[in-house]
Amino acid sequence: MEFDKDSLYKLGKLSKIQIDDSKLESLSSDLASIIKFIDRLKSIDTENVDPTSNSLDQSLVMREDIASDVNTADEILENAPQNELDFFSVPKVIE
Amino acid sequence: MKINLNFIEACSLLEKNETTSVELTKIYLKNIKEAKELNCFNTISAEQALDDAEKSDIRRKQGKLKSRFDGIPIGVKDLFCTKNIKTTASSKILSNFIPSYESTVTQNCIDAGLISLGKLNCDEFAMGSTNKTSFYGPVTNPWKSNKSEAKLVPGGSSGGSAAAVAADLCVVSLGTDTGGSIRQPASFTGTVGLKPTYGRVSRWGIIAFASSLDQAGPITKTVEDAAALLEIIAGHDPKDSTSSIKEKESFLDNLNSSVKGIKIGIPKEFKSDGLPVSTQKAWDDCKKLLQSNGAELIDISLPHTMDALPTYYIIAPAEASSNLARYDGVRFGIREEGENLIEMYEKTRSIGFGDEVKRRILIGTYVLSSGYYDAYYIKAQKIRSLIKNDFNQAFEKVDAILTPSTPSTAFEIENEPNDPVQTYLNDVFTVPINLAGIPAISIPFTNDENNLPIGLQLITNSFEEQKLLNIAKNVQDTINYKSVPKNWWKS
Repeated sequence: MEFDKDSLYKLGKLSKIQIDDSKLESLSSDLASIIKFIDRLKSIDTENVDPTSNSLDQSLVMREDIASDVNTADEILENAPQNELDFFSVPKVIE
Repeated sequence: MKINLNFIEACSLLEKNETTSVELTKIYLKNIKEAKELNCFNTISAEQALDDAEKSDIRRKQGKLKSRFDGIPIGVKDLFCTKNIKTTASSKILSNFIPSYESTVTQNCIDAGLISLGKLNCDEFAMGSTNKTSFYGPVTNPWKSNKSEAKLVPGGSSGGSAAAVAADLCVVSLGTDTGGSIRQPASFTGTVGLKPTYGRVSRWGIIAFASSLDQAGPITKTVEDAAALLEIIAGHDPKDSTSSIKEKESFLDNLNSSVKGIKIGIPKEFKSDGLPVSTQKAWDDCKKLLQSNGAELIDISLPHTMDALPTYYIIAPAEASSNLARYDGVRFGIREEGENLIEMYEKTRSIGFGDEVKRRILIGTYVLSSGYYDAYYIKAQKIRSLIKNDFNQAFEKVDAILTPSTPSTAFEIENEPNDPVQTYLNDVFTVPINLAGIPAISIPFTNDENNLPIGLQLITNSFEEQKLLNIAKNVQDTINYKSVPKNWWKS
C-alpha cells in the first residue's frame, strides 16, 4: 500500500486530523512501514477460525439500576472549553 | 531511616510506630524534589498527600485503620482519573483536564488508606515503549550503563511509574499495560511489574487506549509488594462491564514459594539469534534455578508468537482510533477555534495529539475503513483466537511459562530508530499475553555486562495470579536480587 498525498488527506479527513504538508513524506513512509509489517498476516489461514473480540469468558453482568448523583451537569461542564445555559457550545453548524 | 523501603517493610515500620505516614510522605516528597532530572512526575500533589498522611496518622492513633496498608505513599500513572487532580494522559489535548470523579483503582487505593504523591509521566495515551511520546518530555531511567554517561529510556508506557519506584520516589506505583506497558519498563528499571488477567482489575476511570487489552497493575520492588497492591486494586466493579465477578483473593497471605512439582513451559518461539547473550544466559540460569528448586521444565510451542505483534498493531490502533474520537474540543480538554465545527475538530486534534498518537489513529482508521475492515480488523481478531488457543493448549501441559521480558536491556534516549516498527519490536515478548488476556509478571533477575537490569517474564493461565506470584517469589527468594541504581540524579 502506497500512501500518496490524496490517500493521506482522505485518511486525515476520516480521522479529523489535519495532515501537515511538511510531514507528508515521513508520514507516508511511517504508515507504509507499519502496513507492510501487518500485511504479513495475510498468508495465515484463518478460514475456519472465529474472531475473538474480548478474552474474558464471561457474559455481561447486570447491576441494580440505582440513581446516584455523580457527574452532575455542573461538574461536567467545568471541563468544557465553552458552555452556555447548561449546554456544551460549539461553532454554528447551520448556515 | 533505611532508604528504599518496600511496601511490606514500610507497613511494618508504621505498625511498630517507628515512623509516621507524614514522615514517610515528607521523605518521598523530598526524594521527588531532588529527582527533577528524571522527570517522573507530571503533577506532584504535595499538599493533598501531607493532608491525607496526617489523617492516616490520626486513624492509626485511634485504631481505626482503613487497612493494614494505611498510610503508605504511592505514585499513580497519569492515565487514572483522579478527582480534582489534573489528569493528562501525558497529552497536550488533556493538559487542562481535571476529572470530577475518581477511577475505581485509585478509589480502591484511597479506601485502603494509601497516600497518592501525584501523577506519573507516561507515553502519550500509553502509546509507546520509551516514554518519549509524552507531551511533558521523556522520563530518564535511574539506571545508567557502567560504560557510558548517556541517559537511558525507562521503557514505556508506564515509564514514570517504573522509574519512580526504581529511584525510590514512592514505595509502589500503579501502571497500565496494553501490550507490555508495565512489564517492559519494569524490566528496564530492575523492578517487579505485574499485568493481571483481563477483567481482574476494573478499567473504570482509566483513560482508554485499547479497551479489549488494557489492564491496570502494580509496579513494585518485590513480589510480595505486587501481591499486596494487586489485592488492593482487584475485584469486581459494577461500573466496568468487563470486570470479572470472581471473588477478591488474599494474594499476599496466600503466597507460597514452593515450586516442587510445578511444570514450567519453555516456548521455543521465544528463542532468537537476536537475543543478547546476557539475556539468553539469564533465561537459562532461571530455568536451572527453577529445576533445582523442584520444578519440571517442559519444551512447548506457541506457534503464533511472531504473529502477535502485527495482530496487536491492527487491534490496538483500531480500538484507539475509536476511543480517541472523544477528544474533539467539545466536552473536555483544549479547543482550537476554527471557522466551523469540522475545522474546530481537526485543528484541536492536530494541535492536541503528538505524532505517535496521530500515527496510530490514522492506522486504526485505515484498518477499520470500508474495504479494509475484513482484511485487517476481522483477520486480526481471528489470529487473536489462534494466539489464545496456543496458550490454552500450552496450559494443558504446564502450570506456567518462562520467557525473557524484553529483547534488550534499556537503551539510550537519543538512540531510538527512525522506523516506528523497530520501536514496536520492544514489545514482541509481552504483546501475546495481552491478546490472550492472561496474567504475566516481569521480575528483575540479574544485570547485564553494562550493569543494566534484565527482567524475566512468567506467564500463567487466566486468573492464576496466585500461582504466578508464588513462582515469582520462588525465583526472587533464590536469586536475592538487591541491585539499585546509583543516585546520580540527586541535585
